[in-house]
Amino acid sequence: MIRTEKLVKSVNTSEGKLVILKGINLQIEAGDSVAIVGASGSGKSTLLGLMAGLDGATSGDVYLDGHSLAGLDEEQRAVLRGQLVGFVFQSFQLLPSLTALENVMLPIELKGDPDADPKARQLLTRVGLQDRVKHYPNQLSGGEQQRVAIARAFASEAKILFADEPTGNLDTSTGARVIDLLFALNQEYGTTLVLVTHDRRLAQRCDRIVSLVAGEIAGDEAVGAALNG
Amino acid sequence: MADASNLSRNPVILLRLALRLLWRDWQGGELRLLFLALVMAVTSVTGIALFTDRLESALVLESANMLAADRVVSGRQQPPRIWLDEARERGLRTAETLSFTSMAFSDTANVLVAAKAVSDSYPLRGELLVADQPFAEGVAADGGPPPGEVWLESRALAALNVEPGDTVYVGEAELRLGRVIILEPDRQQGGMVDSAGPRLMLNIADVPTTNVIQTGSRASYRYLFAGDIGQLDLFSTWLRDQSEGQYRLRDVRDESEEVSDALSRAESFLMLGSLFAVLLAGVAIALTARRYSERHFDYVAILKTLGCTSAEISRVYLLIQVMLAVGAILVGWVAGWLVHEGVLWLLRSIITVNLPAAGLQPFVLGSVTAFICLLSFALPPLLALKGTPPLRVLRKDIDPHISTRLPYLFGIGGSLVLIYWYSQDFFLTSVLVLSLAGIAVVLGAVSYLMLRTGSSIGMKAGSALKLAMSAVRRRRRQNILQVLVFSVTIMSLLILTLLRTDLIDDWEAQLPEDAPNHFMMNITQPQVEGIQNFLAENSIEANAFYPMISARVLSVNGEFLSRRDDDDQEGGRGTLTEAASEQAGPVITDSADEGREESGDSGESEESGDSGESEESGDSGESGASGDSGASGEGADVEDGPRRTPTRQVTWAQSLPPDNQVVSGRWWAEDFAPGEVSVEEQYAGWLDIELGDTVQFEVNQQSVEAEVTSLRSVRWDNMQPNFYFIFSPGTLDHLGATFLSTVLMEQEQKILLNDLLRMFPTIVVIEIDALIEQIRNIIAQVTSAIELISFLVLFSGALVLLACVNATLDERFHENAILRTLGAGRRLILGSLLFEFATIGVMAGIIATVGAEVSLYYLQEQVFEQEFRFHFWVWLAGPLLGMVTIAALGVNSTRRVVNSSPLSVLRGVS
Repeated sequence: MIRTEKLVKSVNTSEGKLVILKGINLQIEAGDSVAIVGASGSGKSTLLGLMAGLDGATSGDVYLDGHSLAGLDEEQRAVLRGQLVGFVFQSFQLLPSLTALENVMLPIELKGDPDADPKARQLLTRVGLQDRVKHYPNQLSGGEQQRVAIARAFASEAKILFADEPTGNLDTSTGARVIDLLFALNQEYGTTLVLVTHDRRLAQRCDRIVSLVAGEIAGDEAVGAALNG
Repeated sequence: MADASNLSRNPVILLRLALRLLWRDWQGGELRLLFLALVMAVTSVTGIALFTDRLESALVLESANMLAADRVVSGRQQPPRIWLDEARERGLRTAETLSFTSMAFSDTANVLVAAKAVSDSYPLRGELLVADQPFAEGVAADGGPPPGEVWLESRALAALNVEPGDTVYVGEAELRLGRVIILEPDRQQGGMVDSAGPRLMLNIADVPTTNVIQTGSRASYRYLFAGDIGQLDLFSTWLRDQSEGQYRLRDVRDESEEVSDALSRAESFLMLGSLFAVLLAGVAIALTARRYSERHFDYVAILKTLGCTSAEISRVYLLIQVMLAVGAILVGWVAGWLVHEGVLWLLRSIITVNLPAAGLQPFVLGSVTAFICLLSFALPPLLALKGTPPLRVLRKDIDPHISTRLPYLFGIGGSLVLIYWYSQDFFLTSVLVLSLAGIAVVLGAVSYLMLRTGSSIGMKAGSALKLAMSAVRRRRRQNILQVLVFSVTIMSLLILTLLRTDLIDDWEAQLPEDAPNHFMMNITQPQVEGIQNFLAENSIEANAFYPMISARVLSVNGEFLSRRDDDDQEGGRGTLTEAASEQAGPVITDSADEGREESGDSGESEESGDSGESEESGDSGESGASGDSGASGEGADVEDGPRRTPTRQVTWAQSLPPDNQVVSGRWWAEDFAPGEVSVEEQYAGWLDIELGDTVQFEVNQQSVEAEVTSLRSVRWDNMQPNFYFIFSPGTLDHLGATFLSTVLMEQEQKILLNDLLRMFPTIVVIEIDALIEQIRNIIAQVTSAIELISFLVLFSGALVLLACVNATLDERFHENAILRTLGAGRRLILGSLLFEFATIGVMAGIIATVGAEVSLYYLQEQVFEQEFRFHFWVWLAGPLLGMVTIAALGVNSTRRVVNSSPLSVLRGVS
């Protein structure tokens, strides 16, 4: 479902060229859940951004569901994102001027689906926010906002879900409940999940853990199983 | 998968998204300021255009009344009759008049009258008011007198000792006195022939019977035209092609110089004002649009992660702007209409004519302005939105690249388009844009210097003042922009306020309430005392009696003047005094010797002795008679020989007349000696006369020499006697002058004119009360227009200030929330905000004051032709105004910083 080939990302700084990712090769199969772990600055968010087509690589390529991203410009990547990818972010990234319902409806509407309203309501009910549909993000708690974000991520019926520190802004118990929900929905929808976190216990819930150190893959292990290369 | 079909999403989806964002942003207050700024631009342009459009039509109509037509062709000879036929074929209405001077006789008396023969359709504009008794209330007549009848002005009845029904003889015709003329629309229009005495009006069909008009008779023929403006313009063009310069085509614009001066100044002011209003609204739009787009970076990033392309994002935001503009245009139209209706209501007692309906043009003007404003001021930051990288959802610090130059280029471009569009004047546009750019650069540099008070470390959170000062320096870049915007705004307001005050003061000084409204001329020395007594007996205040005599410059320092390229142009302006004296001049001789009336000359030109003069003598008299200003210069057509200067009415006086100022040299002291002359400065320049020169004049066929001991500036538009040359007493006294004086007579006192004229039948009274009243009306209307535009500009200015304060609100909120979490109290934070804004306000005020005075100097000297005055009080008021306004606005806007919880601010919930 996702494949990276010698993926390199470097940026120019005042102190010279800084290489963030040093030739990452990674393959993720459909339906897998993969955690990318590493210390701050190890390049895990950058890797997620490149795999999701949010940014362009310096060299190398990313294949999403068989589509090479290297030859695409931002416009074409945007179209691909709309069709393949859903997101859950640490800072929720809801549109503050839209209600919970409208936030969830947005990706469905953008696909041109006329049933945005019932589908969005169904998803919000699924995440337990059926009574909060008319609330604006600033009227919801952090956990609730993240649940709206999860509902929105699944609303687009994406094949791949990218989650960037989804519990980073939440307390432990809220975080745990949000993660339960995320994995449950992932299971239901059969989505491929790529999760960036520095929380080892969260990572343990995935099928596979990829560790990054200084822009390189330092470990790649199947959870509760033998190393699979 | 990323194929073309996916790139074009259903536009309805984007429209729905745009609508939803628009609605939410509107509810959240994000768009209100932008919307208001747009509404302001549309309102000021539409309102002012509607107002000036209709006001101008009203003024044109009112002036047309003064002309009794929309266009008039006049000449010494009868213009071809085919012109009337042509006009009628073009659907225009026509009338003709013939004015001449004649004696009218009754059985017991006679009087010199200004006779006017009119066709049946006269007047085409305005009303001829008549009554059955002298000095009675008039009613509008259906037309002029029918054949066989004469109508007389009130005072002629007394002079001829007749009543309606009596017989009046004009030339060989015997006519019946029908009605009494109370008010004639174009009474003020004529030159000498129309002012030689009281009016006698007869039907043009009776003229041959009178046998008064012979070949060479002094008469003024006029063809009057009225009708559709477009047709009139076409017809005027046709006429100009037909005529070979012997006829004069006039329209209402050519009439009173005083009126058109006031009008053109007011138009300049209104144009400048609406420009300021729109440009300020533009700045407010730019500021609010920038803030709006900054607040939407996150939106765009999220939309992009959801699959929206840049093109779609642009479309969504463009749609939002278009919807906003359409809303603003509709509201602006209504507001503009209300504003102009409100002003018209205020002016209902002044605007006496029925206003023509407004056209569509003001609305088009308003709408196009809204789109130009939006395109040039709001588009650059909004277009930058589409460049927001989607990665921003992961890394907040990634901002889209907004070109710093592009918005300025767009803004300047838009301003250029707007200024040129409004003014249709390339020179003015260039000057304005260059000065605005210059001012911006200078102001930017000055504010940078003022804010660059050494490096500062940290926030200096010890006291409110120190905290504020460190904030001022820390946000130097933004603050320079703020000071710039504030100072430009305050400067615009100051310029407009000062200009408005000066203009209105000027007009009030021009025509004070007690301005005399009648000229008395042709008074002989022995009559002066009698007239003074008469006035005293009737409780009318007498003014100074100026001796008046015709004089012409022959040589300067013994040399004849050499010809100049601009000889054909007026060497000065035809003032009321000049015009009046032109009218009175021939009467001086004619009344003494009636036989010379028809000779067609004012007396002095035959004797002038200059070469080339003999062929000119006929014309010189005519130019005066046709009512041209006195300066139009006899002999201007002479090909060779020395320069021939026009004859001027001159006077002598011991003390400097009011509204005159000596600009160089000195006014003669108490121990004056004969042989000195004071010359009006511009006229001196035209004649190449300098201080200390000895000028030889020809006065009453005698040569007089005088030394130029002073040059004066003269206020020409004060409707009072003014002179190019004033001699020291004793120089001309022996040459026989007549006297000129002025009086203020109220409407109810005018009947006294009859007694006055009966007692002193040779004097000439020229009534300018109607003219003064008309000018007063126009000035009052124009003043209201100016007040209105000042108010609109003030409002636009307030919007800019608000937008500018809001522009840095987010950062202030954040910074102060952090300060509060660290334990800073309300007092400290509010105090620091107050100091910070007050400091910026004072700086902006100082810069604005300097800028305003410099701009005013240019505007008053170049555009408004006013004298520049230094405004001392502004140097205190400007900075104070800046400080108080900015501090109040700033603190009011940021007050919420201390009222909302720091946590909510830091979480971005506020």
